[in-house]
Amino acid sequence: MNAQLVLTQLFNGLILGSIYVLLSLGLSIIFGMLGVINFAHGAFYMLGAYVAYTIVTYVFPNFWLALFLAPIIMALFGAACEFFLLRRLYKLPIIYNVLFTFGLMLVFQDSMRMIFGSMGVPFNTPESLVGAVNLGFTYYPTYRLFMIIVTALCSLGVWLFLTRTRLGAIIRAGTDNSAMVDALGINISRIFTLVFALGIGLAGLAGVLAAPIQNVTHLMGMDFLIDCFVVVVIGGMGSIAGSIIGGLIVGQIIAAGIIIWPPIANTLIYLFMATFLLIRPRGLFGREGFHE
Amino acid sequence: MNETAISGRKLIVASAVLLLAVLFPHFAPYTALASEILIFALFAMAYDLVLGYSGMLSFGHAAFFGLGAYTTGIFILRVYPSILAALLAGMVISALGACLVGFLSIRRRGIYFTLITLAFAQMFYFIAFKWTGLTGGDDGLQGVPRPSIGSLDLTSEMTLYYFILLCVFLSVLIGIRVVNSPFGKTLQAIRENRDRAMSIGYNVDRFKLIVFVISGLFSGLAGGLYALLLNFVPLGSLHWTISGEVVIMSIVGGMGTLFGPMLGAIGIILLEDIISNFTDCWSFIMGLLFMASVLGFRGGIMGIIRRKKPAVSRTS
Amino acid sequence: MKKIYTFLRVTRVLVLIAAFSLMMVPTGQAAEPVKVSVLTDMSGPYAGITAANVEAAKLAIEDFGGKLLGQDIEFVARDNMCKADVANQKAKELYEKEKVDVIFDCPNSAAGLAVSNQALLHKRLFVSIGSGTTRHTGPDCNRYTFDWAYNDYMMATAVGLWAAENLGKRWYTITADYAWGHDLFEHFTHALKSKGGTLLGNDMVALGTSDFSPYIIKAKNADPDVLVLLNAGKDAVNATKQAREFGLKKTAKIIHALLFIEGIKAVGDVFADDYVTGAWYWKSKNPGSREFVNKWQTKFNKPPNWMNAATYSAVTQYLKAVDRVGSKAPEAVIKALEGHTFNDLLADPGYIRPEDHMQVGSAYILRAKKSKEVTEAWDFFEIIDEIPAEKAYMDAAKTDCEMGGF
Repeated sequence: MNAQLVLTQLFNGLILGSIYVLLSLGLSIIFGMLGVINFAHGAFYMLGAYVAYTIVTYVFPNFWLALFLAPIIMALFGAACEFFLLRRLYKLPIIYNVLFTFGLMLVFQDSMRMIFGSMGVPFNTPESLVGAVNLGFTYYPTYRLFMIIVTALCSLGVWLFLTRTRLGAIIRAGTDNSAMVDALGINISRIFTLVFALGIGLAGLAGVLAAPIQNVTHLMGMDFLIDCFVVVVIGGMGSIAGSIIGGLIVGQIIAAGIIIWPPIANTLIYLFMATFLLIRPRGLFGREGFHE
Repeated sequence: MNETAISGRKLIVASAVLLLAVLFPHFAPYTALASEILIFALFAMAYDLVLGYSGMLSFGHAAFFGLGAYTTGIFILRVYPSILAALLAGMVISALGACLVGFLSIRRRGIYFTLITLAFAQMFYFIAFKWTGLTGGDDGLQGVPRPSIGSLDLTSEMTLYYFILLCVFLSVLIGIRVVNSPFGKTLQAIRENRDRAMSIGYNVDRFKLIVFVISGLFSGLAGGLYALLLNFVPLGSLHWTISGEVVIMSIVGGMGTLFGPMLGAIGIILLEDIISNFTDCWSFIMGLLFMASVLGFRGGIMGIIRRKKPAVSRTS
Repeated sequence: MKKIYTFLRVTRVLVLIAAFSLMMVPTGQAAEPVKVSVLTDMSGPYAGITAANVEAAKLAIEDFGGKLLGQDIEFVARDNMCKADVANQKAKELYEKEKVDVIFDCPNSAAGLAVSNQALLHKRLFVSIGSGTTRHTGPDCNRYTFDWAYNDYMMATAVGLWAAENLGKRWYTITADYAWGHDLFEHFTHALKSKGGTLLGNDMVALGTSDFSPYIIKAKNADPDVLVLLNAGKDAVNATKQAREFGLKKTAKIIHALLFIEGIKAVGDVFADDYVTGAWYWKSKNPGSREFVNKWQTKFNKPPNWMNAATYSAVTQYLKAVDRVGSKAPEAVIKALEGHTFNDLLADPGYIRPEDHMQVGSAYILRAKKSKEVTEAWDFFEIIDEIPAEKAYMDAAKTDCEMGGF
């Protein structure tokens, strides 16, 4: 084991962590505000990658356009899903939306398999980001550095939006107590749509960003889904800061596991989560009585 | 309506169901599928004790199913070739596993409970995946035989079906006994209002732990029977999708009714098998069905039956 | 109390019915037609490669003439969803309810092993194609199971020996950390050692790992001549993408354990200039190969992959064996297949070893073309070399197979 490897792994953990952050942020605010455990979140992430692929291949061969458009398309699609489908679930016990979003996940995955086949689709790194940058200790791929920057900016943006704007304040208040916000005369259902759209837009963005370094297949979200649950639990349900810190922690744990002893890399995050919850029952920033 | 009338009708229904169960392998697509359906019905019933009767959304029941399957298989292959002893071992180990997982997770509530059970189940999965010397890893535990019980030869699928039916029948009797006992009533009281049950003086967590262990026990039996049915133990028996499947069976069938989840298991496995023979997009169709069942009939299959026959009252 | 007695009476009747049902076990198979089945992955991760095996089998039956022993050949296909438990259940359905004489294919090693066991229990044939584990022709072999066209040993040894001679003797391996990967690792290193090469390092990588960069960096630091990626599907794509990303592809050649034309089609230039073993390629000049490819092209508008060709070959050879002995009795057909030599599109010549039931033929060393080299649609590989069966397969005397009786 050498310092170079450890430092590189730190960066790799950061990459993985940043995808987790984008996904868990959405998962967490959707859960906090809407009370929906979105099992289809990984599938939305996968759809984001496929939308980007479709844009690059069939509409206009430009990665930047896809990076810009795909999250917006996904956000609109998310809004439609919320408006036509998920809206009906809010008054039901949580168990029903588990079943519903699980069904949604199967439908999305199988649709993509039927359209694009089970082998996946090609997605190349954009020409301008091919190659590596000398970081002093190692050559690190440019595209990966770009990913870190984009997710950092997005997380910051979401953070500012939620803490500095009026709408953000309403969302945070709604996450705590949606009935209260409703009572104050704010149209809560429109806020719900917005929150869901935001969450799905972030998942879509994660999908586009991951497409060049991952194999784009209809099952690409399955592995990430369970990991993101771990992130959200460690960070604390419904907590924005928790998702960001949790995502980075889990990314680093997986990266560290690979250095320490690869065979346990898979198990390590679950072990960590279980132990962590024994010490802090509600994760880092979870509040007592919140959706319990 | 007086009580004897209800019991009489119940007896008729029970006999009819049993008759159907006995004849089932003759009209099911194939015998082994009928057995699989029974096994998952048992698993769903065991799960309903936790979800339906106690309100705990466990997402880690694959652990107990898989633990039962592996223990039974390993017992027959390595320890002693007796089906009954192996099934018993599977049940005991699963119950112990449930005791451990339950002890560590039951104090967590809501979504935290759900996800911590999932985390434990994932650990079991990866242990089985890695410990190839014991479990066969990804290839599964291959070649589990079915030694005869006395003079009863279980190699024929038909004989095995009736053996499984007997196991399931006995388990259901015990299950009914549990939910209708004072213990079962207390559980439902806890589910409805935890704080009140606590203030009356019940040790809520202990009640939950006990039912969790009972559920683990029967899940282990289901897993053990699965190992016998397949003649091997697939690694997939510990995968989180198995946990997901049993949750879905419970909801589709109707939670908290004991028989509902069993119906859910029957419906889902039968449908999946039939649809997959006609089209490769079976998971698309299953997904649509799950969504429709939430939007359309939330009481599950049991809810539909009850709506048509209001005479069968909810409580006995 | 009375209630309980009534109930017991009902139960007694039911037990009688159950006992009666047990006696109604169907027997006899007088002059039934030959029934062939394919059990393959139609909806899971391998579906893109194996689902068409159903069509290959149908084509084989059609080309055979559709009739055998004076009756129409029947055919049925089932989806194993790439799950071992589903495969096992479907195998029972096929043997018991559908009364098929033989099951072909069944990708996924665990699924293949489970079906092989069912074949033994039902005393009916199983010809494994998609499942490459050497256990089929090793410790888990049985009289009813045949292994067609390839196994992991052959996939590793053929390209392994060739690469050690032609690409360089300093290797680095990245291995999928489960039974299949371990198996391949053993065979690859064996091939390397036999040529006097050195293994600079190996990493066991958890299945489904999406980030291979730490291993790629370790490999890059070791500066090997050859990077061996012992993983498949999604993992292979990710690892190769990242090897390119970190510039490792410029300094080393990559060899793979398994690669198909569909896989290259799906990811574009990722695999360019990599090497792999193939059991067949659609540009093959074997007898009947041209005709088979042409028919396939007109029907499906793309060439078949080697699994499809293997299925066609296996079904054809089975039907011919039944024809030769004039009976579909499993024992007779098995004896007709054991030790049989044939020449067809897949293997010229092909031989079915009686010792371990491995069907052996030449192995091909394939090089993935760069996208600018591809002049004809789907012509993604160049055949670099042909390794004779004696070199590509483990010596039949050395396998752990103790072939049982009937």
